[in-house]
Amino acid sequence: MSLIRQIWLLLLGTLAIALLASVSINVLSARETLQTQLRLKNADNATSLALVLSQLKGQHDLMEMTAAAQFDTGFYRRIRFIGADGKVVFEREARPQPMQAPAWFASWVAIDSEPGVAQVSDGWRALGSVEVISQSTYALDELWRGSLQDTLALAAVGACAALLALVGVARIRRPLEATVEQADSLREGEYRIVPEPKVPELRRLARAMNAMVERLRVVFESQAAHVESLRRAASCDALTGVSNRVHFLAQLRAAVQREDGHSAGGLVLLRILKLTELNQSLGRESTDRLIVSVADTLAAYAGRSDGVFVGRLNGSDFAVVLPFGSVANETALAMVALLRAAFAGMPGMVAVAAGVVETRHGIALAELMAAADLALAQAECAGPFSVESASVSGATWAGAGEHRWREQLHAALQEGRARLAEYPVVDAQRRVIHLECPLRLQLDENGPFEVAAHWLPLAVRSHLSPRADERALALALAAIAQDGRQRSVNLSPASLQDSGFAARVRQLLVASPQAAPLIWLEINETAAADQFQLMCELSRQVRACGAKFGLEHAGERLSRIEQLFDAGLDYVKLDAAVTLGVANAVGRAAFVKGLVMMLHGLSLQVIAEGVVDAQDARTLWDAGVDGITGPWVGTTGAAVQT
Amino acid sequence: MLGAGALACVMLAPRAWDADVMLQAARRHGAQAVSGARALQSVLGALQGRAETDKLAAINDFFNRRIVFATDREVWAEEDYWASPLEMLGKGRGDCEDYVIGKYFSLLLADVPMAKLRLVYVQARVGGPDGEQVAHMVLAYYAAPGAEPLILDNLLGEIRTATHRPDLTPVFSFNSEGLWRGVGAQGAGDPVARLSRWRDVLAKAHAEGFQ
Repeated sequence: MSLIRQIWLLLLGTLAIALLASVSINVLSARETLQTQLRLKNADNATSLALVLSQLKGQHDLMEMTAAAQFDTGFYRRIRFIGADGKVVFEREARPQPMQAPAWFASWVAIDSEPGVAQVSDGWRALGSVEVISQSTYALDELWRGSLQDTLALAAVGACAALLALVGVARIRRPLEATVEQADSLREGEYRIVPEPKVPELRRLARAMNAMVERLRVVFESQAAHVESLRRAASCDALTGVSNRVHFLAQLRAAVQREDGHSAGGLVLLRILKLTELNQSLGRESTDRLIVSVADTLAAYAGRSDGVFVGRLNGSDFAVVLPFGSVANETALAMVALLRAAFAGMPGMVAVAAGVVETRHGIALAELMAAADLALAQAECAGPFSVESASVSGATWAGAGEHRWREQLHAALQEGRARLAEYPVVDAQRRVIHLECPLRLQLDENGPFEVAAHWLPLAVRSHLSPRADERALALALAAIAQDGRQRSVNLSPASLQDSGFAARVRQLLVASPQAAPLIWLEINETAAADQFQLMCELSRQVRACGAKFGLEHAGERLSRIEQLFDAGLDYVKLDAAVTLGVANAVGRAAFVKGLVMMLHGLSLQVIAEGVVDAQDARTLWDAGVDGITGPWVGTTGAAVQT
Repeated sequence: MLGAGALACVMLAPRAWDADVMLQAARRHGAQAVSGARALQSVLGALQGRAETDKLAAINDFFNRRIVFATDREVWAEEDYWASPLEMLGKGRGDCEDYVIGKYFSLLLADVPMAKLRLVYVQARVGGPDGEQVAHMVLAYYAAPGAEPLILDNLLGEIRTATHRPDLTPVFSFNSEGLWRGVGAQGAGDPVARLSRWRDVLAKAHAEGFQ
């Protein structure tokens, strides 16, 4: 039983006992008084009557009349004259009066009207005795009324006391609940500070817990700083701070291969022309400044929209990845124009050239880079500040017009032409932790089931992503109900913007209480960075139903999300861009190891995504990840079904 | 309430007079009370199994001889005071009510039925047929219901029938019939008992071991 309930029971019990006891005492003492009064009245009246009867010279008729007169005008139950021989000479008795008080009350208090007796004589002759009993029902009624009033009055007092107790208990309850909640959220991996309550014992408790949370926060922050420095060392170019070659290529590969990536995009390669000569004529420092200013310009451009990222491939070459198709050429022209303006004040020989290539989902990286290199070479030939584009062989995925797409999407969701793919996530012992279940939609009625990359951008634009996510969750819950295996479903960050989304997700989970604890819901890391509050709210709702909540495609920004400390997550899936090629880069491995340690410190499970080869997998296991998913898991074929 | 009820039952149970209780109570009223109580007890002891007329004579003599008449004002410095038997024996003095009370309770102890005894307010003519009328109290004994009573008086050493007492005019009579219950239940501690002289004496006598 909860503490508060115990306090309440104690209070109410005490009040009830006090009420009963005081009513009983009042009734009994009133009964005592009434009974004494009745006794005295009986005795006195008997004596008075006897005094009068003794003066009547033993005239029987006169005596009976006198006694009858007293009986008729007074409040008597019975007046009886008993002769000296013990026989009743005459008697007057009233019918029993109806009572207001209920029978149980009468039998409980049982007021007895004790008869008053006095001797009657005529001169020396003893005539006998009179016995007088007064009416007592009125006393009982009076007692009953009094008891009712007592009970009401005391109940009112009791209610006041209960009200006071309510205030008092609330004063204890609020801080107690806050502290208990803090303890609960600590267990859930949320590190909250609560206001210190006024109750001294609770204040000490809350203070101690707050201090502990604060200490954990400091530890976390220093760890995060360390991880961030490892990340920079492993994946950033030392001079400019943008991604280095290895990391950029990993990012690019992850972007074009991810199921929920973008269906089309663009790659811009940009070269500072004649860098060696510049180095010789301007000097190393000025050249470095020039390189940094180019990188800053590109990074500023990239910072404007999500999904754009910049890398420095070698001394003179930069690359920019765009998440949208058909804009690469335009973007490259704009960048080149921007740089041209920036270089206007510098000696004439500073120039750049750019090569552009359109990408599409699933394209091979080598093919893509070769095409881009070709375009850059053409641009370099064309002269300073020129932009050339090349195309990659193979049909780009170009569907019908957007309007038709939207209709197809709508219909697919409406008609349930959706299914979940299943990719196992395994732990170090190759046991399946859960099945990753990305949603596939059949856009054409007889066509193939398409991966998210093909329809998600449009779904986001058409505000259909919440419906797609709900559909995926519903399918996963249904599948769990069938086989009882754990499944993860990824949600789109765009769905957070729908104000009813969290509630509907919760409804779905609540409707399947058996399956809900086996569900893992995950959302892109960008949601944690950009829509932290919305994400936390969703996380709270989801976890309240027993499901797990985590981040996917994480890594780049993880160590820079300050509130990660109190986000309330269960797990994090590290992006392929972080995990690709860790076996061959000591710095990257160190970063992953630091990241895993930090996340473990927050009691989060860590899963590596997009693992392709066995060497990477081994390095990741060594780094301490809890699970791995990706093509490698499929190739080992050793996944143990649990 | 339950406790008091149980107590009342014990008190109501008939019991022989309790010599120890009476002596104990007498000690509170001084040496004279103790010797008085012992004397009364020896008289009572001698009366066991004797005829009621013998009992009347013995008790009447005992009090008439042992107690010197004195007014309440002299003895108790009060206008009217009803002394219990032991109070009277302790002082060795008393007025007419005190004699009557002493005789009444002693006769009860001697197993004379209560119904045969009455305390009677009388008007007494003192000093011959034309004498002064004074308020007085005597004890009347009715051998049978409706019979002529015998009068136990402190003014006259001899017990006579009522017709042989033309100097006395009865006014009102009473006894403790129907009262013992209340007295037994509450005892001398009952505030109500103090309200009436008769009840007060009943309670006191009861505490002194008189039935």
